[in-house]
Amino acid sequence: MASADKPINTDVPEKDVFALHFLQSLSNLRRQNAFNSPDDTTNNRVKKIKKAAYVSMARAAGGTNRLWSRALLRRAAKENNKVVIFSRRKKRVTWLRRSNRRDPVDAERLRNLLPGGGAMETSKLMEETAHYIKCLSMQVKVMQCLVDGLSAK
Amino acid sequence: MNSSLLTPSSSSSSPHHLQSPATFDHDDFLQNFFSSAPWPSSVLEDDAPPPTSETAVTSFHHHDVDSRNQITMIPLSHHNPNDAVDVNALYSGFSAGSLPFHFPQGSGGGVMKQSHTPTQSQATASTTTGGTGATPQTKPKVRARRGQATDPHSIAERLRRERIAERMKSLQELVPNGNKTDKASMLDEIIDYVKFLQLQVKVLSMSRLGGAASVSSQISEDAGGSQENTSGENQTAAKMTEHQVAKLMEEDMGSAMQYLQGKGLCLMPISLATTISTATCPSRNPLVSAVKEAGVLLSPNTATTPAVDVKGASVITVKDASSVSTP
Repeated sequence: MASADKPINTDVPEKDVFALHFLQSLSNLRRQNAFNSPDDTTNNRVKKIKKAAYVSMARAAGGTNRLWSRALLRRAAKENNKVVIFSRRKKRVTWLRRSNRRDPVDAERLRNLLPGGGAMETSKLMEETAHYIKCLSMQVKVMQCLVDGLSAK
Repeated sequence: MNSSLLTPSSSSSSPHHLQSPATFDHDDFLQNFFSSAPWPSSVLEDDAPPPTSETAVTSFHHHDVDSRNQITMIPLSHHNPNDAVDVNALYSGFSAGSLPFHFPQGSGGGVMKQSHTPTQSQATASTTTGGTGATPQTKPKVRARRGQATDPHSIAERLRRERIAERMKSLQELVPNGNKTDKASMLDEIIDYVKFLQLQVKVLSMSRLGGAASVSSQISEDAGGSQENTSGENQTAAKMTEHQVAKLMEEDMGSAMQYLQGKGLCLMPISLATTISTATCPSRNPLVSAVKEAGVLLSPNTATTPAVDVKGASVITVKDASSVSTP
């Protein structure tokens, strides 16, 4: 723990990567028979679309390299009763929660917001939050563009 | 660690009387010890080492073998009983050289500084008491640098705090309104921004379908209230639809939206409705139900009526003409 930090990498892919993944997941949703029939209530459709948005964002941006994307994908897979396998990468800063229990920085609310934030160290939490914010804003931009493009008839 | 510590001085000194083959580290250490510290002249000479010093060195070495962390000065005191002053000078010189008794990880680099620290006397006293017959300390405290602690816990703590502060700074640039200096308020801003982004994703995902059930449920307390007729033909039919929609809204927003959707109608804010009705189609009477918020979007129906695209609020397709109701 004595070495200096390398520059933190919070790069996020371009907008088209996000768009590609999101459109793919949307087209997958359309193929579902349960989705298009009118007996599916609006609420369910909304929830499915939202989940598709988050999952596609996780795949596009983080993949399995980011902790929040891993937690998101694991949660989504659990809802579908599928199992996701990740290759564990133990970094020195990531899981040291127990030794820093006495930290004065209370990032409790942030931990609740961020997927998978409950098990991270505070510095790692900050890093993940930065990446998460970037990815979220990119996803919002993509969705807004889609809405604008498709609705202007 | 050892080699970095000892190479500058060990290269200068010639390996003389230390012929102990065993532990290389201790040899170097002792070489450095003898060369850098200001020795009282009676103790050691370079070329022709007196037997006392040699035995002192070897007994040093023997004791050094016991534990790396300890260097007992007992043999020295035995050999030179009347050199108590010299022993003190030896210790002072030793601590002036800032050579550690043990080799802490973090402060190794700082230890090489030859500056006299304020705790030199303290270190001297502690090592002196340790040396003259008492049990030596296992971890004597050595100040590495002025104003910094050598305690590994505090070093780790400091590093951790620095890391967190660095990340906070990078987060500050991302979040709008991130000019707060207070860490707590900065955290609040970050949390609010994340919540806002998540809400945006939620709203946008709703807008892709039509019938924003959960959004409308929040605003439905105002909508579907009293209604009044402003204009038009087909008043009764429109009124009935309106009443129907209002009734549905009270129960379940989703069904109300679906009802509207089935009829090819939509919701829009009242201000927009009035603007549109007067601007585009003066002869028609659009059927609209006014909603408080503008987060509702309907997928455009395949109607022949012109569609109006409104930025920031919602996209609407006005199909029928009826009355305008107020929330």
